[in-house]
Amino acid sequence: MAKSIAIVEDDPDQRANYADAITKKGYEVVAYGSREEALVGMNNRLPDLVILDIILGDEVDAGFQLCRALLGKSPSLPVIFLTERIDEIDKISGLRLGAWDYLPKPISLDYLAERISSLLRINEVRSEHSEQESPTAKHVGDLTIDQEALLVSWKGHRIDLSGTEFRMLAKLVRQPGHAVSYESLMNATMQSLVTNNTINTHMRNIRKKFEKVDSAFAGIKSEYGFGYRWWRP
Amino acid sequence: MKIFRRIRGPRLGTKLILLGLTLLIVPWFSYRQLVEMERLLVQGQSHAQLLMAEGISTLFNGREDLFNDLPVTIEDYETLFAHPLRNNVRLDGRLEDWGEDLEEKLLSFGAGQDVGDASFQLLLGERAGQLYLYLRVRDPDLVYRNPDYLRLDSADQVRLSFIRPDGNDGRVSLVFTEAGAVTAYTMDGDWRFATTGAPETAIQGFMEPMEAGWAMEFRLPLELLGSRRYFGVSVADVDDPLTREVAALVQTLPTAGKESFDLVVLRSPEVLNIIEGLGYSGARILVIDAEQRVRAETGAHTTAVVGEPSDSLMAFIEDGFEAIRPLLHRFSMFERWDPQADIPGDPEGIAGEIIAASLHGDPQVIRQTVDESLEIITAAHPIVSRDQVIGTVVVEQNIDDIMSFQRSALEQVILVSVASLFAVLLAMVGFAGRLAWRIRNLRREASAAIDARGRLRTSTLQSEMSSGDEIGDLSRSVSEMLSKLHQHSTFLENMPRTLRHEINNPLNTLSTSLQNLAEQHPEVRESKYLDSARRGVMRIGAIVQNLADAASLEESLETEELELVDIRQLLESYVANCRFSHPRCEFVYRGAGAPAYARVSDHRIEQMLDKIVDNAIDFHRADSPVTVQLDTNRGYLQITVANRGPILPEKSRESLFDSMVTHRGPHSHMHFGLGLYVVRVIAEHHGGHVRALNLADGSGVAIMVQLPVARDAPGHVKITTAGENTSDAKAAQARR
Repeated sequence: MAKSIAIVEDDPDQRANYADAITKKGYEVVAYGSREEALVGMNNRLPDLVILDIILGDEVDAGFQLCRALLGKSPSLPVIFLTERIDEIDKISGLRLGAWDYLPKPISLDYLAERISSLLRINEVRSEHSEQESPTAKHVGDLTIDQEALLVSWKGHRIDLSGTEFRMLAKLVRQPGHAVSYESLMNATMQSLVTNNTINTHMRNIRKKFEKVDSAFAGIKSEYGFGYRWWRP
Repeated sequence: MKIFRRIRGPRLGTKLILLGLTLLIVPWFSYRQLVEMERLLVQGQSHAQLLMAEGISTLFNGREDLFNDLPVTIEDYETLFAHPLRNNVRLDGRLEDWGEDLEEKLLSFGAGQDVGDASFQLLLGERAGQLYLYLRVRDPDLVYRNPDYLRLDSADQVRLSFIRPDGNDGRVSLVFTEAGAVTAYTMDGDWRFATTGAPETAIQGFMEPMEAGWAMEFRLPLELLGSRRYFGVSVADVDDPLTREVAALVQTLPTAGKESFDLVVLRSPEVLNIIEGLGYSGARILVIDAEQRVRAETGAHTTAVVGEPSDSLMAFIEDGFEAIRPLLHRFSMFERWDPQADIPGDPEGIAGEIIAASLHGDPQVIRQTVDESLEIITAAHPIVSRDQVIGTVVVEQNIDDIMSFQRSALEQVILVSVASLFAVLLAMVGFAGRLAWRIRNLRREASAAIDARGRLRTSTLQSEMSSGDEIGDLSRSVSEMLSKLHQHSTFLENMPRTLRHEINNPLNTLSTSLQNLAEQHPEVRESKYLDSARRGVMRIGAIVQNLADAASLEESLETEELELVDIRQLLESYVANCRFSHPRCEFVYRGAGAPAYARVSDHRIEQMLDKIVDNAIDFHRADSPVTVQLDTNRGYLQITVANRGPILPEKSRESLFDSMVTHRGPHSHMHFGLGLYVVRVIAEHHGGHVRALNLADGSGVAIMVQLPVARDAPGHVKITTAGENTSDAKAAQARR
């Protein structure tokens, strides 16, 4: 049975474009134009994955409210924010609510589809191997990274990374000790419009998450004027 | 004209003080007022005195009988002036009881004639109908009368000649046999024998010998002389007691050819009684007859008592006043202050003129200065009888009262003026100071509301907001202005973000539509139009993104955590990496000898270097290197990125680092003048600053960033090491 994807987007053109593109990938798509509509619709049937715009009509944080409501109902529901609100503070609040990813507009539909499939797959993997280490996990020093389940742990401590952050970290540790250029990191974000600054911000956030469990963490090194490097002590 | 435009008006305080100086009009006006008042008072007193003179004169109008006891003309006569005596006089040959100052009024006769022998001095007095005479005779050889001799001219004697009321000549000799009482005899025509044996008892006298002569005092009733009072005194001097010849005869009688009598002039007691009866004090009243003879005199000028100042302060004030008065006078009246100016050479002369003039029938009044301390007003009014001027009444009174009133009023005016001037100036200085302080505060706050780059720092003012006056209004309106400006600038600041929101949605529509289009119609997938459309979408996205990033740069810098970074290492690594990212450009790095630590956000420094290096690469001449140099100084480190190429116009060097300013010309793409703006904002966020300089030889441009060196010791620092960056970067490059 096809996975059902819910899209909440107030702009009809974009909504239609998303719906068309995702339907074409073989998913069942339900599209809503407002928060009330979406709440009513998803109360009836919870989808497998939700794509939310934050601003819906006049409500500037309708997406956040929806996210909170949906995760309250089903904590493991994958939620992707897809929005033109790309300020850091919005991104942080979105992820803190428990969203899996936060994607800025304009979006590449191919990337979007890829994300959807990867998140759905991760959700499956996670539900299959809950609490036990996935067989796909890979060890790089103290770091354990599971590409399938999108799980990362450092010295045994689980670290929650967003989808984008996970992809960047995965890129970084693919060849530990080697510098990874900004460009390759940009590709890893699977976003269409990324600047060095965006990469730096992501890297800072990743570093902070590691430092939270290990204050002496120094695995990520800046390669000024070029990119980053996973430091193997 | 330029100079005038450059000169600004005086400060507020100066203006207020200048305004306060207009208070000087108070002493000026007061002085003029006082001078005018003095004039009025003097005029009033003059008028009063004239009225008084007139009033007195009316008492005498038609009373020529009071004046007629003297001959009309006195030119042919010597006058013997009889002084009114105030006291009872004892006939004792002494002058002490005659009253003060009469000693000086002794009339001398005979001096120079016979070398003083028998010369005498005479004084006449009048009291209660008696004429008193006092003689002081110089006569070393005093010869008394021998009573055995019948002839009376055989001894020293005093002879009186007069005209009796019945018109006959009267001759009386006063003889003495010893010191003491004298005897008067009526004499025959030759002064030899007494006409009657009995002495004239109406005449009493007393003789007293004195050194080198003798003195005699005697009296006779005035009625003896009749109304005309023709009268003469002579002293017959007998020196040889044997021959008893009259050796010298000295007389008061005029020289030959004149009438043989003197004239005894008396003050008219009746006139005197009348004016004394007026009981007027404080003024000197004279009644003068048509012959300018003083017929009565009473009173004196009361001289104002000039009290000594009670204390030194008053003395000081008075001295100051004396010093200031000429100045004040000159300032107020526009003429020199010279109180001596109106002292006439001869006060008597002036009085004479007045009297003469008033005797012509015109009432006169004049103010005259007798001496420094005495100024008097003299009024004269004629006495008329049957259309004839028979005399004049002169009233003299000093104006000390007026002068001292004027003086004290002036002192008060000046004191009050000075005190009020001082108080007002003080108040004005205080007020001006306070005002200036408030305005300065407001100005300081208002100018602090906008920073050097013209950005608003605050949207409201704090000072003077609650003041009710115009400064408060100004503050409120400036504050309102600021808040409106703030709204506007907030709108402008948010503009890029709003724009991004608004553009990103249709852009996303466009982008997703293009993707769906390519999906739906595989035949257009290879179309160059689709490609260019995608590139367009990307470019718009990038533009909007850059704008929004720059707009929120300062805000996002605030969230950055600063850490201790070795800038030398960072730069070395950076330049090494640049050689790979920009293979077509040559880089030269000149580093400092020692690590240079600064407290920075390394990514922001990297971002800043990106912008500077991008700029240098864009402008560098093809075959020349871009030089990156690090210098450390005591307090700061300096990163210089220099390239050879076109130089900067001098005037644009300052504005180069402002937002949206570019010097690339109209054909540049993807440049909005944001790069160097970002450089400045980052440098300033780290407490440094940035400058753009043309190289000294004019061959290119250098951008210099100065950052403060971290004060912390770099020993225990977490250093973001770049490690063996060069080889790693090379490896990375090789992988790509």
